Amino acid sequence: MRASVREPSRPGALRHVDWVLVACTLTLVAIGTVAVASASSTPEQPLGLLRPRLVHTAVGLAVLAGFAALPYRTLGEVWKFAYGSSLVLLVATDVVGRTALGAQRWLHVGPVSLQPSEVAKLGLIVALAWSLSRRKEPPTRAVDLVPCLALAGPMVALVFLQPDLGSAMSFVAVAAGMLWAAGVPARLMGAVALGGLLAAPLAWPLLKPYQRTRLLAFLDPGVDPLGAGYNLIQSKIAIGSGGLWGKGLFAGTQNTLQFLPMQHTDFVFSVIGEELGFVGTIGVLVLFWVWLLRVLRVAASTRDAFGSYLCVGVANLVAFHVLVNVGMTVGLAPATGIPLPFVSYGGTALVTQLAAVGMVLSVALRRPKIRF
Amino acid sequence: MEPSKSVDLTTRLASLGVGLTVALAALGLRLWQLQILQADYYAQLADVNRLRVHRLPSPRGLILDRRGTPLVTNRPAFSVWVVPAEVVDPGRVLPQLARVVGVPEDDLWARWERSRRRPFEPMRVRRDVGIRVVTALEERRQSLPGVQVEAEPVRVYPFGPAAAHVLGYLGEVSPEELEALRPRGYRAGDLIGKAGVERAYDEVLRGSDGEHAVEVDAAGRPLRVLREQPGQPGHTLVLALDRELQEEAARQLQGRSGAVVAMDPWTGEVLAMASSPSFDPNLFSVGISEQDWQRLSADRRNPLLNRATASAYEPGSVFKVVTGLAALQEGRAASSSRFLCKGSLQLGRWVFRDLVAHGVVDFTTGVAQSCNVMFWTLGLALGPDLLAEYAQRLGFGSPTGVDLPLEVPGMIPDPAYKQRTWQEPWYPGDTLNMAIGQGFVLVTPLQVARAMSAVANGGILLRPRLVRAVVSPEGHVVRTFSPEAQARLPVSDQALAALRRGLVAVVDRGTGQAARVEGLQVAGKTGSAETARGRPHAWFAGYAPASQPRIVVVVLVEHGYRGGVSAAPIARAILERWWTGLRSARGGNLWAR
Repeated sequence: MRASVREPSRPGALRHVDWVLVACTLTLVAIGTVAVASASSTPEQPLGLLRPRLVHTAVGLAVLAGFAALPYRTLGEVWKFAYGSSLVLLVATDVVGRTALGAQRWLHVGPVSLQPSEVAKLGLIVALAWSLSRRKEPPTRAVDLVPCLALAGPMVALVFLQPDLGSAMSFVAVAAGMLWAAGVPARLMGAVALGGLLAAPLAWPLLKPYQRTRLLAFLDPGVDPLGAGYNLIQSKIAIGSGGLWGKGLFAGTQNTLQFLPMQHTDFVFSVIGEELGFVGTIGVLVLFWVWLLRVLRVAASTRDAFGSYLCVGVANLVAFHVLVNVGMTVGLAPATGIPLPFVSYGGTALVTQLAAVGMVLSVALRRPKIRF
Repeated sequence: MEPSKSVDLTTRLASLGVGLTVALAALGLRLWQLQILQADYYAQLADVNRLRVHRLPSPRGLILDRRGTPLVTNRPAFSVWVVPAEVVDPGRVLPQLARVVGVPEDDLWARWERSRRRPFEPMRVRRDVGIRVVTALEERRQSLPGVQVEAEPVRVYPFGPAAAHVLGYLGEVSPEELEALRPRGYRAGDLIGKAGVERAYDEVLRGSDGEHAVEVDAAGRPLRVLREQPGQPGHTLVLALDRELQEEAARQLQGRSGAVVAMDPWTGEVLAMASSPSFDPNLFSVGISEQDWQRLSADRRNPLLNRATASAYEPGSVFKVVTGLAALQEGRAASSSRFLCKGSLQLGRWVFRDLVAHGVVDFTTGVAQSCNVMFWTLGLALGPDLLAEYAQRLGFGSPTGVDLPLEVPGMIPDPAYKQRTWQEPWYPGDTLNMAIGQGFVLVTPLQVARAMSAVANGGILLRPRLVRAVVSPEGHVVRTFSPEAQARLPVSDQALAALRRGLVAVVDRGTGQAARVEGLQVAGKTGSAETARGRPHAWFAGYAPASQPRIVVVVLVEHGYRGGVSAAPIARAILERWWTGLRSARGGNLWAR
């Protein structure tokens, strides 16, 4: 059994900080900041949304530092609060939330607009990590999955009802990844996945018409080229026309002439593809790759199961976002409104993602000396 | 701590890492495909996205008559175009477009299929749409992506059928023509000259289109002009044609089949060239309708045929000019030579009959009366090879080289030809036929006019010309055409003078009296050419004034029976018109070369 109850080592000096992880994170945030500025630049406002983006970044970095300093086990002790408040926020959003793009995703708290589904992703990771780390045996039987499903189910359902199909899927992906890491046998995972696939048609009637069109448009962008398929076509044109070196920052025609939809949020990767070319897109993918491997390495190197699961959850969350977002911009995944972590414009997402990095750093700081 | 569990977690984490790596690598491959392998394709798509390249069609050059009267002009109009690459949903757009613009949907689909190989090249949907269509399209602009309305002038032929064969008409460049012409800047849907001067001088007339590249945003709003390249309007052609003579010629031919050529015997300039039946070239200017095309091409009288150059006829007695000139030059005859015409000629056991017995005639009277017996006699004396040689020297049997497309050479037979083609020897009867322009002899009216000009100008064979000058859009004369002598006839002045005395006698007291004009001495020769079926073709070929020729007129009326009856009066009308114009222009000599 793993040292789940033993107090992990005290926070070490700064040399315990995973500087590679920090560097990857900061580089991605910086690339995102430039891309967002380019994507939102208009003749009237040449720097576009640079200023709010910088504010988000500053807040996010502060939160990151806070979470890194906070002994992560504290999170486990307050998991009920984290999970519970996430649920409350989601319910509140469904009830009083503001509609954006046909979905209620926003909650206003004073001057701040909050996207509770982003916060809830962290809440679910903390709750699942705690629940899995409390087990004495690996979850090998179907009944062992019940607590996890009980935690993830309500959140998936609430987000799905907003409706935010992409985020709902990301909750599923996070839970699946954590269960896999916890040792659920491949056969059981497969059975659950199969069950989910078979149950998927049941959800079809619950989808809004625009969501169905999006899914269909992914299968055949020609179905409605000026509507749902338009984004996919324009995104591919933007990325493809970037070529090897790109058209230069602020010089992408697809971007500046507004052919790209939502170019500073969901399709910011297309802007990078157009303006920085293959060199830029591969660079971003490599940064994510290194980032993910570093987080998994932290997960593997800590002796504390809760810390491991936290890291696995965060890695899964970011990996899912990257794969689905980039996949969408290159026409390999449906358009589901999943932003690119650290890069896309969006305050709540950026701050929570940086908070997640803070959590990983906190785990890294408090692990014993690496011996392997 | 149980190491086995720890190893299990490590394996699971490793498998996650491998899975993520594979997935990211797949995305990287996809990016390689899009940004490296297909970069050009998407770059082109991005350009189409942001660029709207409007063609600025340059007006085709004008065509003027010799006095500056416009014979062909342009009028402003709108055309509807569609860029196939921008039509993402043809199944929805094309039917709507066909309905709004008013073209058959099948036609549009057919052309759509053809233009798919070049999806970025705009395809013309229809020329010359009304302002209503333009408005309707603007209203539907959002739902009709890729559809453009452009100003594009339309060709106008103010005199309609009067000069249709000379001027020609326009048509869309055919796929086969396009293969050859694309390197010279022609594009699908371009109109090019399909006949007449429009075709012969197409490259001079067409100029070059300009281009206007505008950057647009996703909503199609123009943002800025990226490139503006003005077009070069086509050059203006100044024809030798005289609009009044041309109209007179066309009027005279109305209701008959035939041709008229009027020519300046000193320059070879064609003053009038009419062919009947005719057609309205305006029908072709916006793309001829299927119905009109059927009507024109199915017409057995063949209105599209230029009978002056593209069709050859038996010349009949008009050919006696050749026989007469050969005999005079070869010393077989002189003005004073006398012949006995008993109304027939016995050749071995064959008897060749003429219509009347002229009795004893001198050469001049023989020409005036078109005495077959005299010309048979002369023909027999000369033999077929000399006859053929003189005919060829006068320009028969080969194209005149006029600046018009599709000219036919006609036919001058000789014994070798007959043997080759018919596997038969040349009989003396063939010589008799040839001497009076029958048998295998075939000529075009323009060839007759050129030969007659040589007789009139003292023996110089000139290349007939329709175009006098090319003038740039700015008004500079780019090119002028000077008379081009193709040959000098090896005939003496005496021989020519004797022939011309005969030609004067034809109009004064012979078969061509119907061509007489008050105050103007006309010389010429009539002809009634037997044809394989139907009545003979009627010919008149002459010039005036007889002493100092300034104009040659050739008239052919298909199945007109007798040249003196149906062709000569037409020549007279044209000469009268010319004569009146010349006299009224006294003082300012507009007829001068």
